[in-house]
Amino acid sequence: MSEKVYAFRCTTCGAVSYPKHMICPKCRGEAFEPVEVAGEGAVLTYTDVYALAVDYETRYLRLAIVELDGGMRVTGQLLDEHPRVGKRVRTTVGVVREPADKPIYGLQFVPA
Amino acid sequence: MRPVYIVGAGMTRFGRSEWPLVDLAATASLAALHHANLGKIPVDAVVVANMGAGRVNRQTAIASALVDRLSLWPAAAESVENGPASGASAVKVGYQAIASGMADVVLVTGVEMMRAVDGLEATDFVASLSHPEVEYIYGVTLPSLAGLFARLFMERHGVERRHLALVAIKNHDNAMKNPYAHIHQPVTMEGILTSPEAVVNNPPIAEPLHMFDCCPVSDGAAAVVLATQEVAAKIGAPRVLVAGIGQATDTHAVHERQDPTDLKAVRLASAAAFERAGLKPSDIDVAELHDAFTILEIAESEAAGFFKPGQAHKAIERGETQLTGKLPINPSGGLKAKGHPVGATGVAQIVELAWQLRGEAGGRQVAKAKAAYACNFGGFGNNVVATVLRKEER
Repeated sequence: MSEKVYAFRCTTCGAVSYPKHMICPKCRGEAFEPVEVAGEGAVLTYTDVYALAVDYETRYLRLAIVELDGGMRVTGQLLDEHPRVGKRVRTTVGVVREPADKPIYGLQFVPA
Repeated sequence: MRPVYIVGAGMTRFGRSEWPLVDLAATASLAALHHANLGKIPVDAVVVANMGAGRVNRQTAIASALVDRLSLWPAAAESVENGPASGASAVKVGYQAIASGMADVVLVTGVEMMRAVDGLEATDFVASLSHPEVEYIYGVTLPSLAGLFARLFMERHGVERRHLALVAIKNHDNAMKNPYAHIHQPVTMEGILTSPEAVVNNPPIAEPLHMFDCCPVSDGAAAVVLATQEVAAKIGAPRVLVAGIGQATDTHAVHERQDPTDLKAVRLASAAAFERAGLKPSDIDVAELHDAFTILEIAESEAAGFFKPGQAHKAIERGETQLTGKLPINPSGGLKAKGHPVGATGVAQIVELAWQLRGEAGGRQVAKAKAAYACNFGGFGNNVVATVLRKEER
């Protein structure tokens, strides 16, 4: 059970990838070290989705793509009553999905 | 490479299947085989496009099952699973078999029976194509990826909800003229956007997208018979040439794309298809685009090269993409109204275009159609197959 989310820094060129690739998309390097995904950024886009997958009891989910300071982008759940494109948020980690067997932790965004 | 022709095309009506999975595939296949009228010429290979039978219908190896149902032994057979691009991928596999000399006649059948399960399960089955570690776990579904894309694209290019509604209205109108379409229901701007009732008629699915921006969940099958020039000549088929196929991939996670509004795989696949065909976007008379969501028809028509970035919604406003316009898009009704049985869709696009080029499209016939283009959009744009067809004069 991981309560941290990791991106992957290429030890050859330093480029950070999220998700993981086994060959660096920048330099073709094959060695990486995990770096925690955490910090602040801005909402690039968001949606309230009512067409949900299994494992959710809620009526809708608010999802967003956030561009973190430094340029890396991440997808996650937006916990903000007043969402807006460009709004500053910071990452937290919480339960993002609860299949019957075990909860899954992932990125959530709250107003910065 | 040997030239490859489409000598037969057929499909079932999309919607809810009255047959089991393999019978559904066989029904479309028979229609295509009858259309081709091969006589004693054997089918050398069968390629089946399908995304979810293993999960949704609990049946695997359906290409072998289809050969058996049609008594086509000892034809070679394989299934192609390539997400929502399975259909055009299967056509590509059939094309390669003939072009390379390995086969003279190939039956390509796309089939999907998604209504065997409830809506939640069907949505989840399609969502399983998203990135498992950085998308799916958050509750990402295809509508949500489309919603995220739409908000960004609309803001950047000044596209409004009324432009999306114009796409839906056009495609529903076209579907009224297509007996094979899932949905036969005309819609109006008042009904889905501007009247007080529109809020009820057209609820949000993934903001800013609403119900009438999204394709239905459909069962259905579509099939084409591909053949060499020799076979086409022997059976006297109209010369519908597979002039060029292009395919390209992009990052699995949408957020990782340098510009998430740039449908790069559509751009690259289309450019490759046009180059192989020796044609330009301006040569195309009719197009079938992958409008699983209305916004995608707009974005794909730009990425394919029919309109400059930010111009497609203005062309739609001017009526240029209607049946009688400069470039009719989705005369079949598109995924929006014809329906979207995922594995069948890419084949059904080719079926519609083959009919259009043969002048057999009935009330939705595009006048003097000589060149056609299809975009089959897999994943959320991470695997795209573009196909260009051309009618050869004899």
